[in-house]
Amino acid sequence: MDEEGDSSRPSDLTVPPSRDGWRLILSTLRQQWRGIAVGVVVGLVWTAAKVAVPWLVQQAIDLGITPGDLEALRTWTIAIVIAAAVAATFTGLRRYWAFRESRRLETVLRDRLFAHVQRLHFAFHDRVQTGDLMSRANTDLQQVQNVVVLIPLTISNAVTVLAVAVLLVSIDPVLTVLALGSLPFLNLLGKRFSNRLHPTMIGLQRESAALATVVEESVSGIRAVKGFGAEELQRRRLATEADDIYDVAMQASRIRASFLPAMELLPNIGLIFVLGYGGWQVIAGQLSLGSLIAFNVYVALLIWPLRMLGMIIAQGQRAAASAQRVHEVLDTAPEITAPAHPQHLPARPEPASVATGVGRIELDAVRFGYGRPHPVLDGLDLVIEPGESVALVGATGSGKSTVARLLCRFYDVEAGAVRLDGVDVRDLDPVELRRAISIVFEETFLFSDTLAANIAFGRPDATDAEIHRAAELAGAASFIADLDDGYASLVGERGHSLSGGQRQRIAIARAILADPRVLILDDATSAVDPTKEHEIRDALGQVMAHRTTLVIAHRPATIALADRVVLLHDGRVAAQGTHHELLASSAAYRQVLATAHHDPTADAGDTAAASGGGDDPASTDGVLGVGGVAS
Amino acid sequence: MLERGIDPADQLDAAEARRVVRRAFRQLGPYRRDVIIGVVLVVFWTLATIAGPFLLSVGIDDGISQGDGRVLAFAVAGYILVAAASYGLYRAQIVVVARSGEGFLRDLRNQVFRHLSGLSLSFFDRTKAGVLVSRMTSDVDSLSELVQFGLLQLTMNVLLLVLSVVWLGLVSWQLLLICLVPVPFVVAASVKFQRDSNRAYNEVRDQIGDTLSHLNESIAGVREIQAFGREDLETERFAERSDGLQRAHMRSVFVQAWYLPVIEFAGLGTTALVVGFGGWLTVQGVVTIGTVAFFVLTLNNLFEPIQQLSQLFNTVQSAGAGLKKLFALLDTTTDVPERPGAVDLPAQGEIEVRDVSFGYADGAPVLRDVALTIGVGERLALVGPTGAGKSTLAKLIARFYDPTDGTVSFGGVDLRDATTASLRRRMVVVPQEGFLFSGSIRDNVRVGRADATDAEVDEALRTVGAYERFASLPEGLASEVRERGARLSAGERQLVSLARAALADPAVLVLDEATSSLDPGTEVLVEEAVGRLMAGRTVIVIAHRLSTAARADRVGVVDAGQLLELGPHDDLVAAGGAYARLYAAWVGGSASAVDDAEGPEVDAGPQ
Repeated sequence: MDEEGDSSRPSDLTVPPSRDGWRLILSTLRQQWRGIAVGVVVGLVWTAAKVAVPWLVQQAIDLGITPGDLEALRTWTIAIVIAAAVAATFTGLRRYWAFRESRRLETVLRDRLFAHVQRLHFAFHDRVQTGDLMSRANTDLQQVQNVVVLIPLTISNAVTVLAVAVLLVSIDPVLTVLALGSLPFLNLLGKRFSNRLHPTMIGLQRESAALATVVEESVSGIRAVKGFGAEELQRRRLATEADDIYDVAMQASRIRASFLPAMELLPNIGLIFVLGYGGWQVIAGQLSLGSLIAFNVYVALLIWPLRMLGMIIAQGQRAAASAQRVHEVLDTAPEITAPAHPQHLPARPEPASVATGVGRIELDAVRFGYGRPHPVLDGLDLVIEPGESVALVGATGSGKSTVARLLCRFYDVEAGAVRLDGVDVRDLDPVELRRAISIVFEETFLFSDTLAANIAFGRPDATDAEIHRAAELAGAASFIADLDDGYASLVGERGHSLSGGQRQRIAIARAILADPRVLILDDATSAVDPTKEHEIRDALGQVMAHRTTLVIAHRPATIALADRVVLLHDGRVAAQGTHHELLASSAAYRQVLATAHHDPTADAGDTAAASGGGDDPASTDGVLGVGGVAS
Repeated sequence: MLERGIDPADQLDAAEARRVVRRAFRQLGPYRRDVIIGVVLVVFWTLATIAGPFLLSVGIDDGISQGDGRVLAFAVAGYILVAAASYGLYRAQIVVVARSGEGFLRDLRNQVFRHLSGLSLSFFDRTKAGVLVSRMTSDVDSLSELVQFGLLQLTMNVLLLVLSVVWLGLVSWQLLLICLVPVPFVVAASVKFQRDSNRAYNEVRDQIGDTLSHLNESIAGVREIQAFGREDLETERFAERSDGLQRAHMRSVFVQAWYLPVIEFAGLGTTALVVGFGGWLTVQGVVTIGTVAFFVLTLNNLFEPIQQLSQLFNTVQSAGAGLKKLFALLDTTTDVPERPGAVDLPAQGEIEVRDVSFGYADGAPVLRDVALTIGVGERLALVGPTGAGKSTLAKLIARFYDPTDGTVSFGGVDLRDATTASLRRRMVVVPQEGFLFSGSIRDNVRVGRADATDAEVDEALRTVGAYERFASLPEGLASEVRERGARLSAGERQLVSLARAALADPAVLVLDEATSSLDPGTEVLVEEAVGRLMAGRTVIVIAHRLSTAARADRVGVVDAGQLLELGPHDDLVAAGGAYARLYAAWVGGSASAVDDAEGPEVDAGPQ
């Protein structure tokens, strides 16, 4: 089911051996050993009380009822009441402790996973889908929790089985064998049942999801369905999915039918032996009637522990596999880390609003290619002076977005160096570097929060006035003012849905508010409606005036904003100059601009590269690989 | 231990519950026989389950205690029979119940979806997509839980409880009275547990949703988080949520942690009562030792069912709530029904809109007294500000809605008298955005006509000039368009949508022009495709760009629900009315927007 594996590029997240999974569970549990120990002790007390009851009943019958000794009967009855109270109290405690520890383990691991994933490099996220990480943080940890909660229970169950077996053997060894002989099979069946049922339950989930997809598509695509009269087609698709669910559900019930009755039957066999053989023994005077009844009660007592032991073994295997999947992520070391002794950027003179003399960018013989044999950038030399604005232009796959990502050190160069104000970016703490450089991605991501919080994303302590000013500069203030809740409007997954252009303007405001020494706009106005772009263009002019800016764009009007245009080709600078100079002098430049308007794949190709390849980073070669470069 | 919770708002009152149950029973239809067989099997199985301990007590009392080996042998033989019968009954019952239950669910899914997909567009306009999806998923799933486990357990536990009480009473009413002492406490505790656990469960569910969506967002937005150096802050914020979830879990466990002891003590404490009091009765000679043993063994059948039933309560409740919502959906009627005796539309014909007014169920009229005739093969462009009613007019022509007043007819047939199938064959509406369904490109084109052959699909793609483009993909036309076509650009999606129209080959084409600009390259391709599609058809285009309007045979200007102007582009410009003003503004404006190939939007109106 792992989809992160790409045929051309084996993922570093591979399938078990689950040994590391067990190790992860155990090492995390070690820190909770006190809680687990309490859980086991509580479980044992419960077991003792629970096992004592039938024995006490037996004593009451043999020593009280049979001889007609009411005094003894009363004593034993009180003993039963005490045992009952203890068993009851401890069954609650047992449950509480088991869940306490297992939920804590789940939480600890999930927090660790979250913190780790937040720090993993872009290349990792390029490779691994969000859904895959989600399932590790959710389903897999759930699976682990399901088993960990059973650990104290299992230990006390095992002790119960042992204690009962010893007790029964001391009463009558032959009868013990007859009574309990069939029960190990119960254990075996439990395990097999769980192993057989599990895949069909997964299958059922999968089929349900497929059906939900048809419904979801039909509802959100209702205009297409109605417009083309495709109702019947969708109904047929749904019927197919409904049939699939039926088939899998029936398969599951057939598995239930072949296991559950058998698991019910086995203890009955033991009880029949007890009645037949034990009864005969009592008639023969070899066994007390009380013992016979106790045997019956004990057999009944063992049914659940044994069934569960089997299921736990099966579940434990799956939990280990799940823990293994979590371990694989935790075991992936972040590639982009702060150096042991980070250097610092030269201080930035105040006030920052005038040309500051900082923000010098230098790319020195840079080679980089996302780990693939053909580098995207190959010996790129480029210097951007403080306060200068540069537009990067180039055909699909020429590495424009890649330059942006190297500057922010989302990836490390394979050869050469990237320097900011004379310091190699690898010698800086990434946090300091990213405070100094703000990037606006083409694919904007807004968080489920207010617009104000989204704009203040890079500077959570910004004042309202600063937020409004940034929105103003990004050309977002007017549409925000039109929203009912203004800056308090919720956006993102669960909030107000904004158009692509509006989202981009929020992202630009976010970058402006961070007040970086270098601003990077990676195709950041592509979704802005052409009729509204000029509003932003004016504002951008202001923002760019006082800081180093790198603009990646294909609309001539946007490109014209820059002091200098750099044309990338074959991973190097092919030509540079002002927009008009290049138009006049460079055929390649004219060609690239023309293609941007006529080559349908050009935009999309950059998108795939710029967004870090939502699901497939290998496809910098464009939409579905049409007319790509890398292919 | 706790399967699911239920919102207080969803709980049914007794009358509603009765209605829902009655209707569900009618709905069972073909499965009624299986359900009855299933119930009979459960009854016998339950009988077999309690017959075991009973035979045991007979064996002890009349066999062992009397030293009678024959009776003992009979009891053992009886027990063997009962065990075997129980095995067979259990097995049969699982299969029968699953067959009828799953069959019922399959039919229900199909029925609900068939109904849902037949509802009019206005229904989808006013109902949130998420709500509709949850009808077909979580509401049906809550039923499925009931069908798979709940119903069986419900029947079994009720039977077990009733039979055990009757049987125990027959054996010894004195001892039964003793056993019933704790019952009121257990019932009271169960009621409280059901309430508390429901509240706790709902809280856990909310917290889980909250935590997971935060998690999802932080992973999907990890690039932004790193770009702005917020890793530590986000980790802290997540830990807070995850802590909240942990606390909610523990509150829910706490509810179980007090309830379980009550049940456990009731069971074991009653054992003590039976032994003590029953022992005394035995000594008095009122009951036998075997009776006491029988009671001790059967006690489980008394308290476990009560516990199980209290947990089933939620399952039953949410299934009931789910059914109620599903029935409500099934009761929703379409606004554009097919009349009995409806006729097929002719192959070709004029479209006549006669004095049409239209308003949505609530609110002001959208269109007032619109009249126009569109000739065979004519191209009409509708322009006007957003919300003026041009889209509504187009939708009335395609009978997505029926007019409040007036008629729309095709070839002289009132659309309300036409069969839905023939209407959809004659008229195809290409929506603004090319919506892709999961499946291959070929599957997606086939949305235009489900029974088209591969060759016809290819031909349709050629018609819109997109064949080469898609065929050159590594997997050609069989390429999967994953995740809603995220791998195709907006323009490419639009091309697929146009190919559908080509495949459907309708007499009338209604085009809703995209408002936002496509990527520059595909823009041209899409325009060419539209041009080719128009050939030989009546076309109504909802134009957002005046350049499109200028190319049509006639232009209709819709404003504030009225058809203000109607005529060829040149005439309207010459007439110097509203259209002429719009056009002048555009011509003037496009001079300032240097590099914008597209004209300005005509939609200047408020959203």
